[in-house]
Amino acid sequence: MSHHLEGSRNSCALHGALQLFEAIEGVIPVIHSTSGCGVQHYLGVTRLSGGNDPFSSPPVSSSNIAEKHVVFGGGSRLREQLKNTVKVVQGDLYAIVTGCSTEMVGDDIPAMAREGREQDWPVVYANTPGFSGDVHHGYHLAVKALIEQLPGIWKRTGEFQTRMVNVWGIIPNQDPFWRGNLQELGRLLEGIGLVPNLLLGSEQGIAAWKQIPEAALNLVLSHWGKLPAGLLEQLYGTPSIILEGVPVGSAAVPLLRRLTEQLKLDQIRSEEFITREESLLNHQFARLADSYYRAGFQREFVLVGESAQVAGIGEFLGKSFGLLPRMLIITDNPPDNVQEALADRLSSIVSGYDTEVIFSEDRAEITDIMRTSDVQLILASSLEREVAVELDVPFLALSFPLDDRIVLDRGYAGYRGATALLEDIGSTILAFSRAWHVC
Amino acid sequence: MSLLRAKAPRSREKRLDTLGAWLGPVSAASTEFAGDEIAQRIRTFAQSSNDDLLYALRILAGIRDSVTIIHGPRGCAAAGLYHIAAGCNTRWFVTNLDERDTIMGADRKLRKSVVALYRRYHPAVVFIVGNPVIAINNDDIQSVVEELHEELELPIVPVYVTGFSSQNAVSGYDTALHSLLKYLSGNSATALKNERINLLSVAEHPQDRKDAQNLLKQLGIGLNVIPDDSTIDQFRLAVSARASIPLSPDAPEYLGAILDKKYGVPLINVLRPVGVEGTGRWLKSIATFLGNEEAAEELHEIKSAEIALQLGDFSLKGIKTYISLSSANAFSVLDLLEELGGEVAGLTITHLDRLHVGHLNELALRNPSLQIHVSDGQAFEEISILRKLAPDLYLGDATHLGQVARLGIPVVSLESLAIVGYSGVVRLARRIKTALANSSYGLSLAKVNSPYQDAWFRRSHNWHIKQEVK
Repeated sequence: MSHHLEGSRNSCALHGALQLFEAIEGVIPVIHSTSGCGVQHYLGVTRLSGGNDPFSSPPVSSSNIAEKHVVFGGGSRLREQLKNTVKVVQGDLYAIVTGCSTEMVGDDIPAMAREGREQDWPVVYANTPGFSGDVHHGYHLAVKALIEQLPGIWKRTGEFQTRMVNVWGIIPNQDPFWRGNLQELGRLLEGIGLVPNLLLGSEQGIAAWKQIPEAALNLVLSHWGKLPAGLLEQLYGTPSIILEGVPVGSAAVPLLRRLTEQLKLDQIRSEEFITREESLLNHQFARLADSYYRAGFQREFVLVGESAQVAGIGEFLGKSFGLLPRMLIITDNPPDNVQEALADRLSSIVSGYDTEVIFSEDRAEITDIMRTSDVQLILASSLEREVAVELDVPFLALSFPLDDRIVLDRGYAGYRGATALLEDIGSTILAFSRAWHVC
Repeated sequence: MSLLRAKAPRSREKRLDTLGAWLGPVSAASTEFAGDEIAQRIRTFAQSSNDDLLYALRILAGIRDSVTIIHGPRGCAAAGLYHIAAGCNTRWFVTNLDERDTIMGADRKLRKSVVALYRRYHPAVVFIVGNPVIAINNDDIQSVVEELHEELELPIVPVYVTGFSSQNAVSGYDTALHSLLKYLSGNSATALKNERINLLSVAEHPQDRKDAQNLLKQLGIGLNVIPDDSTIDQFRLAVSARASIPLSPDAPEYLGAILDKKYGVPLINVLRPVGVEGTGRWLKSIATFLGNEEAAEELHEIKSAEIALQLGDFSLKGIKTYISLSSANAFSVLDLLEELGGEVAGLTITHLDRLHVGHLNELALRNPSLQIHVSDGQAFEEISILRKLAPDLYLGDATHLGQVARLGIPVVSLESLAIVGYSGVVRLARRIKTALANSSYGLSLAKVNSPYQDAWFRRSHNWHIKQEVK
């Protein structure tokens, strides 16, 4: 049985589906629910992700059902809304998503989508009532809808592409750095001669989603990317490489080598690329060494965020930057077997030093745990600022929700992301230390 | 007793003929509201808009030492994160209902949550907030409230919002205030009246509230502010106060009316203290009630002179402004802009009802062709209107300001700008001056496409607003 949550940072399935659809250029979500669902999404999710708002407003189409639709059914209201959405809002694809109310009433959503397609409108649907699960479940429902339903709208035309890789598992806005992270991963793949199919973000529209079946490989960057990858393996036989986290810094090396081997790429080119990137990162390390030692960067830290983020950032800071991961708090509720694997892997990042790996999404519980941690640096969401102030330690907000940062292209993935992370953590520690300067 | 007996008040559309969709000249609105029957309008295409749940949360966010449990699925509590970011008094919880709960009911889960949170936080009050799932399932919140109220000796206040029973979010203020009075104020006023004046401040900007409080303090008036940033004791105190003065005639309307009709606390009927004249009128209304007119007159003169000095030669002469705000706010900002020498190109207001008849009639005489658009969150209509009117400036507090700015119109957001009182005039003037002085950002935004089809812009703005067929 689910439990009550304080300050829940994992919103509902509807909001997760909206995050996915809004991150694809040209996709227009059509919400079939009460009027407030889209506003809740805007206030409680979009606005707290550093500024990632494609429409400069809440989602642009919502059926806003009234009491009579609850009593008599809302199918006709959705029919009307869909018809008029196509006329009012520009889009390449219209994606019906549902809320709790219309699902409880039992409106026939597939029938409505079918009617739309019979009019030659590009329409997909996903049943996404909030009670069916959290944002991660919503991400699953939305990608599944696209993978299964797009081939019914557009016949597959492209050829198999030996160098193309689909990237899965980064959830827009739930990872506030999703755009930057995807761009950097794309850059790394291109660096060794691959063609990344990033699927989300700038210049990623329906064309990207149509070519999914043509890819040679799925690259999965979190537990949440396993579902679409598995689906594609079933449908098209596409193999996958599965990582349980977004690689930061040198963690990219084994990935790039594995890709080179598996897809039979030019090894010399890949090694040259790796050497150049490693060398650049080492120079970044060297340039900040003076500040590092002077301001005492080497600290025990706690990191709070989604598993993909915590694994990547935690390992980078522990294995390459000399920091000590005292506590890693993972908030995205992966299933038990994944939790066990993550705990195994992350509890000994630094040899001879014990890292506590904790799974929780409850603000009160996370706050209590942090109070006992005796750490000297907090990397978490804005919900942890209060306890950071109480503990009087440097604090950087880097996971959802973020209320004091603008994030446009910044990312913490790969080599460029590692550099950005060094800048942000370093600046945080320096700004904190300045407060103690006495003239 | 009978006034607060129901679980929730009647919706605004039933009490005040509130419309959430309408477009036309102010003269037509005035005529329509002069009649007995007002036809409800619906939209055949709609965009997300606030609902009663969201408005109720705004009020609960302000109650000190409280715990708010949204008894629903996770998404119904998303706005809690927004309120945490904005700095709120309450602690937010969601019972996190899953599919099974929607079939079997979840009052056991609710009961466990209330007990656990009481033990952890010992709050002064616990709020339990409804939502579409609970409303459709008809979950029994009431028996949980009654049992645990006795067991824990704790005020537990259920707020029966539904997300769909009213098409006007403002009804959510009424529902929250209804419950706050019903459960926290007692059945009747104490025999002994206190000398305080209730300042009714509903979901106001904290600076707006503080400015208003300071002005009243300068007149030596002892205040009891509810519901914003108030303790639960203040609701008990409120029913024995000498009178109530609202910061707006609209949002606290139900609160003022119940305090008056049920508890005999007279309500001073006055418009919002916005603009120099508006603020003076507001101060004089309470001073007159207290027989202290001269002091208010004197304060008004001193403050007006100060403001005139600070404004210098600032004038909005020749500037046509479009206003898009909650209704009472919009009408008072209209007066303020005219006070500053400007002209209003048109209005979008969140709702229109019998509370606004005075404004409608007055405007119908002065400026009958002024266009009024009634909409909460219907950006597509507003964009269409703005393309036609091409105003020089846009003042609004909606969540689609970025879309407006893509038209290249200078935008001033009032979401976090306090405009109440004398100092509010100076703050707004400065913000407007800045917006008009440099439009380079707007010009960049204008290069990004609008999300709408060109065909939509060839339709009439009210193409999707229809009379409801019952």
